[in-house]
Amino acid sequence: MIFPTACSTPRPVRLSEATRAFAWDSLHHKYGLEARKTPHVDMSGVAGYRQMNMLEKYDACIAEIAARAPVRIVPGERVSGSASLGDAISYQVPGWADGQCLCMGASHLTADFETVLRVGLRGIEQQVKICAAANTDPSRAPVYRSMQNALDALRVWHGRYLAALDPDSENHRNLSRVPYAPPRNFHEAVQSIWFVFAFLRLCGNWPGIGRLDVLLGPYLDADLAAGRLTLDEAREILAHFFIKGCEWICGDVVLNGDAMHYQNIVLSGVDEDGRDVTNAVTGLVLDIVEELGISDFPISVRVSPQTDPKLLRRLAQVIRHGGGIVAVYNEPLVIQALIRAGFDLRQARRFANDGCWEVQVPGRTFFTYLPFDGLSILQNVTLQGGNAHFESYSALYERFLADLHAHVGRLYEETRTHFEYLCAPDSSSGSKERPCTVISLFEEGCIRRGRCYFEGGPDYNIFSPHIGGITDIANSLYAVKKAVFEDHIVTFDRLMQAVSADWAGEEPLRQQILNGYSWWGNDNDEADQIAADILGQFADFCAQYDAGAPLRFIPGVSTFGRQIEWVSGRTATTFGKKKGAVLSGNFSPTPGTDARGATAVIRSCCKADLVRQTNGAALDIVLSPGSVRGEGGLAAIEGLIRGFTALGGFFMQMDVVDAAVLRAAQADPESYQTLSVRVSGWNARFVTLTREWQDMVIERDTK
Amino acid sequence: MLVTEIQRFCMHDGPGLRTVVFLSGCPLRCAWCHNPEAQLQAPALLYSESRCIGCGRCAEVCLAGAHSFAPDHRLDRRLCRACGRCADACPTRALRLSAKEMSVPEVVRDVLRDMPFYGGTGGVTLSGGEPLAQPEQALALLRACRDAGLSTAVETSGFFDAGWLPDLVRCVDLFLWDVKDTDSDRHRHFTGMPAGPALENLRAADALGAATVLRCVAVQGVNADALHAAAVARLYRSLNCCRGVEFLPCHMLSGSKYAQLGRRCTLEASAACPPELLEKMQAAFDAQLADPRTDL
Repeated sequence: MIFPTACSTPRPVRLSEATRAFAWDSLHHKYGLEARKTPHVDMSGVAGYRQMNMLEKYDACIAEIAARAPVRIVPGERVSGSASLGDAISYQVPGWADGQCLCMGASHLTADFETVLRVGLRGIEQQVKICAAANTDPSRAPVYRSMQNALDALRVWHGRYLAALDPDSENHRNLSRVPYAPPRNFHEAVQSIWFVFAFLRLCGNWPGIGRLDVLLGPYLDADLAAGRLTLDEAREILAHFFIKGCEWICGDVVLNGDAMHYQNIVLSGVDEDGRDVTNAVTGLVLDIVEELGISDFPISVRVSPQTDPKLLRRLAQVIRHGGGIVAVYNEPLVIQALIRAGFDLRQARRFANDGCWEVQVPGRTFFTYLPFDGLSILQNVTLQGGNAHFESYSALYERFLADLHAHVGRLYEETRTHFEYLCAPDSSSGSKERPCTVISLFEEGCIRRGRCYFEGGPDYNIFSPHIGGITDIANSLYAVKKAVFEDHIVTFDRLMQAVSADWAGEEPLRQQILNGYSWWGNDNDEADQIAADILGQFADFCAQYDAGAPLRFIPGVSTFGRQIEWVSGRTATTFGKKKGAVLSGNFSPTPGTDARGATAVIRSCCKADLVRQTNGAALDIVLSPGSVRGEGGLAAIEGLIRGFTALGGFFMQMDVVDAAVLRAAQADPESYQTLSVRVSGWNARFVTLTREWQDMVIERDTK
Repeated sequence: MLVTEIQRFCMHDGPGLRTVVFLSGCPLRCAWCHNPEAQLQAPALLYSESRCIGCGRCAEVCLAGAHSFAPDHRLDRRLCRACGRCADACPTRALRLSAKEMSVPEVVRDVLRDMPFYGGTGGVTLSGGEPLAQPEQALALLRACRDAGLSTAVETSGFFDAGWLPDLVRCVDLFLWDVKDTDSDRHRHFTGMPAGPALENLRAADALGAATVLRCVAVQGVNADALHAAAVARLYRSLNCCRGVEFLPCHMLSGSKYAQLGRRCTLEASAACPPELLEKMQAAFDAQLADPRTDL
C-alpha cells in the first residue's frame, strides 16, 4: 500500500494498518462500485406516486430512500452511515420512476453543521414545529410538511443503522445519542456530522462541510485535557470520516473527474471575535491528508501574516506531495472583501466556501454563480470576430467596457426576474426550481421563513457573475495597444485580417507578437494593469446592480475548466494564439506565456484589487517535483504563501505535478488509479478525466 | 554589469526562496560547464535552429552578411560581430544575445520585486559564469541587496582577485564555493586553470570568517571517485567556517546550449554522474570525516 506522491520524501505513516487498508479499498473503488449496484429506490410501486405534485413526489422519494437504501456497515469502521445509492453519486435524487430519477440534488453550499452539533436534530425538529405553528401564511404549509417528512425519514434511516449495529459497539453507543442530541465528546461529534452529511448525500446532494476544526476542535480539546482520548486515537477516528468520504469513488471517466462532489473543508483562521481557531483538529486533518493523499475533501486553509510559521511549514509539507489538495485563502483580504460588500464583520469572519472556492457565510447562504466568457465578448462583440476597426487603443478599450457592462446588465435582469419568480409564493412553492427540503433543513433561515433553499429561504442569496478568460482579455488588448498603436508593427486592419484567417500566411508576424512582449503573469506592470483595470470596472458594474438584499449580485473570477468548452466560441487571439488553443484557467496566465516563475505570476495576479472580487479569484500555481524537493522546496512553498498573502491575493491552489508522470498515466491508467491533480476548486483523479481535460492539465502544467 | 539571466523563484541556491542573478564572464573553461554562454565577457549570438521559420528577416538587417538562405538558414559565425540586430528582428527568438548590459540599480530593482516572498531567510544569489569576475559591480549589487534586508549568497569558483575578499566577506552571508577538483593535474587539464589560487582564496575567506558551503560537481570519468570525495572531506575539516558539502551530479544536459553557441561540449554524455556513484562518493566522504586521522 503506497499512496502516491509527487515528492521524493515518502508520505509518513501514522495510522494503523487496518485504517490504511480501509483507505486503500475505498480509494480503489470498492464502495463506489458497490453503490453503483444499488443505484436508486424504485418509486413506481408507491401508491399514487404518479398523481403527486413535485414536492409530494420528493417527500415520497426521501421516505423511500430512508427506508430502503442499503445499510452498509464496514467491519471496523469508526463512524457509520453510508450514502449507498449509486445515482446520488451522479447528483440525482435517487428515487426512480418512468426511467429516470426524480430530479437533481443541490450543491455549492455548506450545510449548517454548527447547529446540528449545538442543538442536535431534536432541536431542529423543535424549530420546525414552532415555526410551522407560528407561520400563518398558508403557502408555507407544504414546505413545513415536507421538512417534517424529511426529519421523519431521517429518523427511519437512523433507526435502521441502530438496528443493524452491534448493540455493544462504540458506534451503536454514539449513534444512540447523536445526531439527535448534542455530542458529548469528539467521537460523537465526528459521528454526528458524518451521519447528517451522509444522509444529505444519500438524497442526491453534494454539500460542503465548512470549518471542520472550528466544528470539532472544542470536543477534541476537552477530551485531550480530560485524558479521555489520545491524539493518535482521535486521528484514527477522523481518518475514518475522510475514508468514508471516499465511498463514492468509482474510477469512471467523467467529464471533469470523479472527485467533484464539493465536499470542501476550511481550516484555521479567526472566529467571529477575531481569535485564532487553529487547534488539534487542524493538525489532524493535515496529518491524514499527508498520509493518505485523499483528495476528495479539498482543503482550504485561511492564512494571514499572523499564521503560525509551524502551520505554514505543515502546509508546505503536505502540499509538496502533490494532488493539489491543500489551497489557501488570504484571510484578511477575504474578510475585508465581505465587509466591503456589506456583510456584518462577525458573519464575514465565519466565511467558508460553497464546497468549491467561492466564499460564503456557511450554513446560511444560497449560492449560484453565473459564468461567462469575457474573451468571447471582446472577440465576437467588440472586435466583431475580426471585422471591427478602431482608431485608437482607448476607443477599443472603452468599447469593450461598454460591451462588458451591457452583458453584466443582461445577466442581472435575467437573474432578478428568475429570483422574483422563485420567491413568489404559489402552489408550486417548495419545488419551483426543484425540491430540496433535506438541504433546506440545514440552511439557516429556511425553517424560520418556511421557504426552501432555492426560494429565498437562506439569510443570504448570492448570485455571482464570474468573468472568465480575464488574462487572455488583458493579453489581447495589450497586443493591440503595443503592436498596433505604439510600436506600429502592424496596422489594426491587418491584425484583424490575421485573426480572422487564424493567422494563416502571417506566421512571422504571429511569432513576433507572441514572442515580442511580456504577457500577463510575467510581472509586467503594463500588461498586468489592463487585467486589474478591467476587473475593477467589472466590480463597479456588478455593484451598480447589487441591491444589497435579498438578492446579492457580487463578482468573481473563474473558468472552472470551461476554457475547454469555450474554445469553440472563440476566434484566434490578437496576441498570437491560434483558434482551438485552450487558454487561461481561472485567474491564471494564458498557458505558455509566463516565463518568469511562480513569484512573478503571483505579483501579476495581486496587482488587481481583489478586495472588490467579493466572491473570489483563484490563482492556480503548478510546481515541478524538483522545485519542492528538500528544505529549499519547503521554504519555497512557504515563501509563495507568504508573498501571496502580503501582496493581496485571494485564493491560491498549488499543485505539484510531473508532466512525465501524467503522460505515463495517460498511457497506463491502470497503474495510476489514485493519482490526483487539482482541476479547479476541486481535485480529480487524473485517469478519470476525459482525454481533453487530461491534455488541458498537461498543457497547463508543463508550459 | 553583463547579465545572462535573472531567475526568480529559485530554491536550491542558498537558503529560502531566492532570485539568482547570472553574470557573464568566467576565467575557467570547465569541460562540463553547464552555462557555456556565461563564460564569455561579451554577449554572443545564440542560434536555436529548431525555432527558425526561415522568414529571412535576419539576413535583411545584418550588416556583416553573416546570415544567408540557400534556401535554409545559415549563420557564418566568422562574420558575426554579435551586434544583436538580427536578434532584435527575429520573430521567434531563434536568434538572441547571450547577455545584456544592465546597471546595478536595474538589477537591484528586479531582485527587489520578490521582496514579499523572501521572508527572513531568502534573498539574492549571484551566479554565472564567475560573478566575481565583475567584482566592483558584484559588490555594489550585494551591498544594495544587503541594505534592503536580503540574504546574500555568491556562487563562485574561487578564481577572483583576493584583494576583494575583505569587502566581499562583509556583505556576503554565504559563499557557495565550487570545488572543481582536488587533483591539481586534473584541475588544470579539465578547467584550464591550476587549483592553487582558488584554494588559497578559500582559505583566506575562511580565515576572514566567511560562511561557505562547498559544492562539488561529480563528473564521471573525471572526479567522481572516492579519492576526490575523501580529499574534499579533509578540505572541509580544515576549514573553520564551512557549513557543509554538497555533491551534485553532473547532468550533461547542456548540449543544446553549446549548439546554440556553435560549439560542441568536449565531454561525452557518459560524464553524467549516476545516483549510485554519487552515493558512493557521499559514503567515502562520510567515512573520511569519521576517520579520527582526518584532522592530521
